[in-house]
Amino acid sequence: MANSVRLQKFQQVELADGRTVTVVDKLGEGGQGVVYRVKFDDTGEEKALKWYFVSYFKEPRKFYAHLEDNIQVGAPSAAFIWPKQLTKWIDGESFGYIMDIIPNGYESFSKFLNVIVKFKSVKAMVNAALNIVAAFKALHNKGYNYQDLNDGNFSIDPATGKVLICDNDNVVGHGQQSGISGKARYMAPEVVRGEKQPDKNTDRYSLAVILFRLFAVDHPLEGKRTNVPALTDKYDKRFFGTQPLFIFDKNDSSNAPVPVPGLHQNAVTMWKYFPSFVKEAFQQSFSQDSLINIKGRLLEQDWFNILMRLKSSIVKCPQCGEEIFLESDRETICKSHKIKPVGYLNFTRRSNQAVTVPIFKDAVLYDYHVSGSEDFETVAAVILEKPGKFGLENKSSNTWFITLPNGKSVTKKPGEVLGLGVDSKIDFGNNIVATVVAN
Amino acid sequence: MGMLDKVETMRRMCPVIFLLDTSGSMNGAPIGAVNSAIEGVLPELIAMNSGNSDNEIKVGIMSFDYGANWITGDELVSPEDLKASWKDLDAAGLTKMGEAFHDLNKKLSVSHGFMNRASGSVAPVLFLLSDGEPTDDYQAGLNELKNNNWYKVAAKVAIGYGDSNDDVLREFTGNVETVLHTNNPEDLRKMIRFVAITSSRVASTGSNAPDNSNPDDNTVKVSKAIQAQGGALAPADASDGGW
Repeated sequence: MANSVRLQKFQQVELADGRTVTVVDKLGEGGQGVVYRVKFDDTGEEKALKWYFVSYFKEPRKFYAHLEDNIQVGAPSAAFIWPKQLTKWIDGESFGYIMDIIPNGYESFSKFLNVIVKFKSVKAMVNAALNIVAAFKALHNKGYNYQDLNDGNFSIDPATGKVLICDNDNVVGHGQQSGISGKARYMAPEVVRGEKQPDKNTDRYSLAVILFRLFAVDHPLEGKRTNVPALTDKYDKRFFGTQPLFIFDKNDSSNAPVPVPGLHQNAVTMWKYFPSFVKEAFQQSFSQDSLINIKGRLLEQDWFNILMRLKSSIVKCPQCGEEIFLESDRETICKSHKIKPVGYLNFTRRSNQAVTVPIFKDAVLYDYHVSGSEDFETVAAVILEKPGKFGLENKSSNTWFITLPNGKSVTKKPGEVLGLGVDSKIDFGNNIVATVVAN
Repeated sequence: MGMLDKVETMRRMCPVIFLLDTSGSMNGAPIGAVNSAIEGVLPELIAMNSGNSDNEIKVGIMSFDYGANWITGDELVSPEDLKASWKDLDAAGLTKMGEAFHDLNKKLSVSHGFMNRASGSVAPVLFLLSDGEPTDDYQAGLNELKNNNWYKVAAKVAIGYGDSNDDVLREFTGNVETVLHTNNPEDLRKMIRFVAITSSRVASTGSNAPDNSNPDDNTVKVSKAIQAQGGALAPADASDGGW
């Protein structure tokens, strides 16, 4: 038999286009199949080959055709380790597809959750969240949905927050079904209840779980109430399907975190660090309305704006030097230190989300803020502090036009610093205006 | 503590419990195959644990001959600890399977057994290996076990070797598909490895097979995985018929 259930080292496999690859070694194994490192026989280039346990499929030919379609349409963004080529179809035998190998430096998200790997900086952690949201926005914009979003799908660079998304084989177009319902604890409650098949909206629930765990490690629905000895499927259905309750639900504390070492400690710690708008975003994502009535889930664009606001709130506590998220318009508590900025830059709302940056030493504005783009990496401005005053250094390539409260106007070229005065309006160009608001 | 200094969270436990027949007839190549299989399985379980953020596999090993003896002691142990402390099993004595079932039943308990874990436990894997007829009243022990809720939801698998009574093994698993049989020590090693790894993976990661019609029948989930991945390995009853 040419193509067996498992491949052997040095075994040659023919691709659909006639080229051949040879198995080098095994990279990993999951429920659906095995991933091998393979080498192209003509070029010597190394790739990964996902090789299915073919009998898992009721209709393997259909799944093969589905992969063919996805390969043709192409990856939604560079973050996706997308299927590139299929192996040759042989009736009754196994098949697989070629994809890129995850480069060095990326660690599986599961390792972050097991605290084997930690983010190197707060910024890297927020970047990871932004990268995940941006990738799923690209996926949904392309008309796809993921269906099986879970912790096993992501690899993240702990130093930069760059993200790669693998296991994209179940991705389907709108209205289609992969036949996979998803992974327990990540499936949307309506899928667990058996009311719905996975779609874009169920992806959004899973995305909120991923984001919560990225920051807080613990599961958003696991608290006092779910702390039972026997976690059989019956209970899973109750906790994640019929009676789900957020551990920080606004109105019901019956599933609050349990104060036992090793249980929910990270969630309790992280919740104290989250600014109010992030708490609200999670409380909305895991509200009873979202969990039971499938309403009010945040769109990727909503998350993007919230996470940008979070990224621009990263500053150091002046008393202990620890990185914190600083609220723009109210007090933030770092341990016992109370910190409140003198004011904040208030931008026009985006998709009905507030966009603010606290006026505080070293707070950063990105291209996102000044040009309306989705670039969250390029620094556009930095807040400077001198005794008794704050300035905004123009690190963008545009000239800013500022209207002062007395009606006068000034301009600030790239490299110049604007002294921040109350009620000034800064026109960054591109119809982006921010007002300096005092607290 | 800063927001990046996460503490390790206790995952749900996924118990993987081996009941290994170490009666005198296992002496020689068969027990050698068992020892080398278990040694080979442990690194795989360690790797599964490092990649799994939901559940953590903990292992229990009981040998039964003149009586039942928990090699791993009063608590389940991590595969790392077992790998570090592993000593080869010797084979001598009878096949007191009834006592093995009786002892397993006692340990499948939260209040006075293995199953006490603050973060809870998912359905266990129960792995039975035997090479002969039970020499005691296995039925009494099995009847106790059948009333145990952990046993009911467990993924139950068994391997028969040589002169094993596979009907008893099938009664233990409650599923003909998860009882495999071999007469060859080399195959025995491979089979233990394959069945232990496959069942541990299914139990610790859940099944994402398309149909999820029997939510708590974990033995069925394992049987599907064994069929999908087994290739040449046939269930024990297939070797009886047609030869």
